[in-house]
Amino acid sequence: MERAPSILLVGLGGAGCAMVTRLAPGLPADIRVLRVDTDARSVAEDGAAAVQIGRAQTRGMGTGGEPAVGAVAAEAEEPALRRAFTGVPLVVLVTGLGGGTGSGASAVVARQAADAGATVLAFATMPFSHEGERRMRQANEGAVALGQKAHGLVLVHNDLLLQQVSNEAPLSESFAAADAWVGGALRALAAAFEPGALVPVDPAALRSILASPGSPTLFAYGVGAGPGAAATAARAAGQCPLAHGPGAVTKVAALFVYVAGGPAMTSADAFEAVAAVRLRFGGETTTLLCARIDPALGERVEVSVLGASLPAPKAAPKARKGAKAADADQPLFGFATEETLRRGLFGGTPMTFIEGQDVDVPTYIRKAVRLPAG
Amino acid sequence: MKPQNKPLPSLIAVIDIGTHKTVALVGQLIDGKARMLSFSERRTDGVVKGTVTDLEKLQRCVHEVVNDVERGASRAIDEVYLSMSGPAAEGERVKGIISVPAADGRVAKQDVLDAIASAKRLEPPAGRATILYMRQPTILDNRPVVNAVGMTGRRLEVLFWRVTMDEGNLRLRVGMVNGMSLMLRDFILASHAAACAVATETEKQGGVLLIDMGAGTTDWILYYKEHILCAGSIPLGGEHLTNDLGVALRVSRDTAEDLKVRFASAVHREADLNQTIWKDGDRGLGDQQFNRGTITKVSSLRYQETLDFVRKDVLRQLDQIFPDHPTKLDQHLLPSGVILTGGSANLQDAAEAVQLVLGLPARVGVPVFEVESFRKPEYAGVVGMMTAAITDAPPPVRRPRGFLAALRDLFRF
Repeated sequence: MERAPSILLVGLGGAGCAMVTRLAPGLPADIRVLRVDTDARSVAEDGAAAVQIGRAQTRGMGTGGEPAVGAVAAEAEEPALRRAFTGVPLVVLVTGLGGGTGSGASAVVARQAADAGATVLAFATMPFSHEGERRMRQANEGAVALGQKAHGLVLVHNDLLLQQVSNEAPLSESFAAADAWVGGALRALAAAFEPGALVPVDPAALRSILASPGSPTLFAYGVGAGPGAAATAARAAGQCPLAHGPGAVTKVAALFVYVAGGPAMTSADAFEAVAAVRLRFGGETTTLLCARIDPALGERVEVSVLGASLPAPKAAPKARKGAKAADADQPLFGFATEETLRRGLFGGTPMTFIEGQDVDVPTYIRKAVRLPAG
Repeated sequence: MKPQNKPLPSLIAVIDIGTHKTVALVGQLIDGKARMLSFSERRTDGVVKGTVTDLEKLQRCVHEVVNDVERGASRAIDEVYLSMSGPAAEGERVKGIISVPAADGRVAKQDVLDAIASAKRLEPPAGRATILYMRQPTILDNRPVVNAVGMTGRRLEVLFWRVTMDEGNLRLRVGMVNGMSLMLRDFILASHAAACAVATETEKQGGVLLIDMGAGTTDWILYYKEHILCAGSIPLGGEHLTNDLGVALRVSRDTAEDLKVRFASAVHREADLNQTIWKDGDRGLGDQQFNRGTITKVSSLRYQETLDFVRKDVLRQLDQIFPDHPTKLDQHLLPSGVILTGGSANLQDAAEAVQLVLGLPARVGVPVFEVESFRKPEYAGVVGMMTAAITDAPPPVRRPRGFLAALRDLFRF
């Protein structure tokens, strides 16, 4: 029988499948890819492992933006999905929230994976502010549901993506930033399972970081090049938009830091980067370090940070983005996802819509204006 | 029992409940002139984005200001005027049309009264109660006239700007005031009040747009040929500026507020990018450095966007009023341009931003008042309420019947 991979990368829904397709060529060997979608077109591509869900409900078309259809579709395909998750220690779920499949099925798929014994880390993109009220609400609901089922949830706001590129850049370039983040996360996670690291890490310890119940998840990624590359990369990770915004997790109790660089990188470089990351993000309880030499990186150094903290004692204005699956009866206190990250003080208040945009979200985010540095 | 039949009480109390602050003013009418007796100001609690979220907190806050002013005036107040603003108050134009019955087409006084009655017979939308009617020009055979009585024509139209309030909101406010053993004498439209304080009669006669940008909401009102043509509200204000800065600079609300007051601007300039500012200025522990360009970029984007929403809202309302001719916001309609007031008018270069976005000359409106500390844009509303309350014997805020009668209607099921 074929050995199960260490990491299963699951692309769910149209956006998730598209991202997985873009990422697939550059992935480490130990990562298996699985596409899951209601739309027959997404799952038909190049013979990679795929599960088409909801054949009975949608007849191979999409869900038409209905999360309820997405949820039912995933439930119906449970045996096939379970089979795919069995024996896999870590499932990375990539999806786009706002539509039907992503918003509806992601929590179901995450639960199935968790039930099969896998640790589930989800990356979910949130719609652009301009996509209107309905998609934003669906995305919020989807994020809350997913946060309850997945061990870790990192939200990638499409509005933030637009700020990463200049105004003249083609749209595809802004998605490249999201690909780079998720790709960085995958390489970091894969490195933990792969032997031969400069500073190795125990995969079980890595999984334990994500296992704390109700903990907000932090993820940051940065790249540096040239002299002082490690420090530059650590600084870039500190400024990673995923780890920003009020309410985004700023300090966490447990950290996993992955530093990879070309042959020129020394242990001192790696530890310097880790020190810089710890200064920014905390990690007082546990800091797991994994460093690796990757000749393909050449001059460059990349730093990925994954962290989780214990749940805040009160419903403080902190993004609570991850929660342990199991106990459905556990009282859930204000899952702030979309809310506090982008709406700041107005997180928790009803959204105010003008011309289909939630105007409580700062103008510069909605208009994707890059702010001057500093 | 009808309040308007009583002589105007010599003590006039107005309360302006804003998202940021609640201000009460008590004045006395001596020989037709108002003298201020006392005032009180407190930070509003329980209001977010112009909507009441915690009645108990708000009630406590209003109670405190009422106690303060009563102590200050050494007299008990028995009735108050409340401001009304934000999304709770909605306005629309209502019309009463009659054909002039006289054979020679001469308009009699009764014809005008009939037209008014027919306009006021129009029911407000379900779940809303009419709070006030503001008179707009009378139209006789498609010509606006000042006084139609005695003129000749076939078709007489009487127009009103009707302000309605959600019944739940109305009950909440009435209940709050009654809970303090006070009577609610009337509501005053906040934007109209602000105009009373900062716009001259000449400006209103010519045509002027007043924008009252507070903390939670931005109210606007447009005067054309002395009358209120239309009014509206956008649920955005100074708090959004603070919030944007908080998100962008990753600082707390208080720090963001402080940075907004000191460094934000309604217009972003390239030179701001070369300026570095310190949060506390003492360069001590915890002091932080920011690029001023970031601050002005964030604040100007929000400020100008809010003004642009106002511009679109004004145009939308004008389109409803004049569906046949597209109306432009230009010097022809608004020869007196724009007056900007409210707390957020204090932002640096605010008037310039209005000029940029609306393409009209603009100035910041500061109320004229005997107490110097009130001569600031943020007090335009409450000062104007006092003016409106005194002249509320009554142009142009007038009610069809006693306000109490309207209330009785509301509570009678």
